[in-house]
Amino acid sequence: MQLNNTILTVSNLVKNYGAKPAVSDLSLGIREGEFLGLLGPNGAGKTTTIKLLTGLTKPDGGDILYFGKSFFSHPKQAKELIGVVPQQSNLDRDLTAFENLNLHAILHNIPGKLRRGKIDEALDFAGLLEYGNKQVKTFSGGMKRRLVIVRSLLHDPKILFLDEPTVGLDPQIRRNLWDLVYRVNQVKKTAILLTTHYIEEAEKLCQRVKIINSGSIIADDTPAQLKKEVGSFVVEYLDQEERKERFFASKEEALAALKEIDGEAKVREATLEDVFIKLTGRRINV
Amino acid sequence: MFNGFRGVLYREIHVFQKKAKKQIVASSLSPLLFLIAFGWGFGKEVTVNGLPYISFLIPGLITMSSLNQSYGISQELNITRFYFHVFDEFLIAPVSHIEIVLGEAFYGIFKATISILLIFLYSLLFGVDLMLHPVFFPAIFLHTFLFATLGITMAMIVRDHGSQATVNTFVITPMIFLCGTFFPVDKLPAVFKWIVHILPLTYSTKVIRASLTGGEIDYYYLSLIAGFAIVFFGTALWAIKRVEA
Ligand SMILES: Nc1ncnc2c1ncn2[C@@H]1O[C@H](COP(=O)(O)OP(=O)(O)O)[C@@H](O)[C@H]1O
Ligand SMILES: [Mg+2]
Repeated sequence: MQLNNTILTVSNLVKNYGAKPAVSDLSLGIREGEFLGLLGPNGAGKTTTIKLLTGLTKPDGGDILYFGKSFFSHPKQAKELIGVVPQQSNLDRDLTAFENLNLHAILHNIPGKLRRGKIDEALDFAGLLEYGNKQVKTFSGGMKRRLVIVRSLLHDPKILFLDEPTVGLDPQIRRNLWDLVYRVNQVKKTAILLTTHYIEEAEKLCQRVKIINSGSIIADDTPAQLKKEVGSFVVEYLDQEERKERFFASKEEALAALKEIDGEAKVREATLEDVFIKLTGRRINV
Repeated sequence: MFNGFRGVLYREIHVFQKKAKKQIVASSLSPLLFLIAFGWGFGKEVTVNGLPYISFLIPGLITMSSLNQSYGISQELNITRFYFHVFDEFLIAPVSHIEIVLGEAFYGIFKATISILLIFLYSLLFGVDLMLHPVFFPAIFLHTFLFATLGITMAMIVRDHGSQATVNTFVITPMIFLCGTFFPVDKLPAVFKWIVHILPLTYSTKVIRASLTGGEIDYYYLSLIAGFAIVFFGTALWAIKRVEA
């Protein structure tokens, strides 16, 4: 058996809204068990990409293959393999957590006999075991997000799409959710495509990061390698009231440069934000 | 098997259950008011086409109420789609569009059935004798199916909640008043008569009234209703295919 088969191959995907491209010429591949990040500012085309890959919207060009088969000619087969956590919660507020999970189980053809056990397991994984019979409208933002995540995993998908899973959550709850997502990838071996505009989220979780801007991928590597290419260490200083950065391959070089600068200055490690600025001249989060 | 159909129905019925009492009470009021105002108000002396008015009215209320309930799923679908995005969960699942349409349509039929039973109950209370020709069953099925699938079509093609309300004001409400529910269409001026004869409610009301009051069943009309049902099933499928989230 060959390990790490390619699950998803996307080539030259295009989606236009009016004359404006939301996604242009986007290509990517995801292997079994991989954790891939799609990092980019608001409006970069992340949600559009997820919608294209899950069939919620149709592309104007390009190809999407799941296990080598076209998504467009075999949508049902592909949809059995994918789990989706949309940016906007699509839970049924009037239904209980159990009913929401049961609905998903029915839609995904999980046999009646297995449903109860799988649902309890999912509630447990999300730390929501005591809340099964509570209506979702009584849940906090973090509880809802955890519920959507375990719901998307109920049918054991090979790949999970997470669209900005921690937007609008408190830092503490965000960490809690990172842990959940990390466990999904490590324990269940589910491949993950996560979109985010949080630098820290991409760096902490993703094995590989694609940086997306204005609908195009502008960089693609491990976080460490991406940073290495711009220079892993940064000297930050003020030049006539303006914040400026210089990049160095090693801490020693950076410290040496620091000494030459008059006024306020410091050395820090590079982040993916630096990579983005270097590539586009803009910040991700403005 | 039929996991999409079962899933959609599971969702709709469970949501319905949570507000069943409120919904049933709310939807039972307007036919009752019609019965009191026109049935009692006119008294036994007023007859239409040889029937006491109240016997003429009851089948009309059945088609009106069941239309309101089956077409009314468009409103719910709208909320499901635009506000709660729950509809995406159906679209992402490995189910065919046919199953989604049928699931929603049968939910519409389910709700219509409740309203029909209620009016049968009213007719007992008001002492109105109804006959029940077997054609009533296929006719009411086709009638509720066609308005449910029309509702699905509308919910899928409108851009927002507001346009849905516009459709109701300009199409559904006039149709309910003019298509023979409250008075025979042959009383209408020629232009209106022509208009109501492109509307399916005219035919279903005629067949359903005949099946409940011992009138002559027009099988040509019945087949027209079946035709409308097939067409709207088709438009619902077409509309759901082009839906983008
Ligand atoms: N349904 C739509 N109609 C028109 N424009 C859209 C639609 N959805 C997204 N866009 C536009 O496409 C671009 C990408 O949006 P999106 O994929 O939501 O970005 P992100 O998720 O990265 O914030 C934006 O410019 C956005 O305004
Ligand atoms: Mg987005």
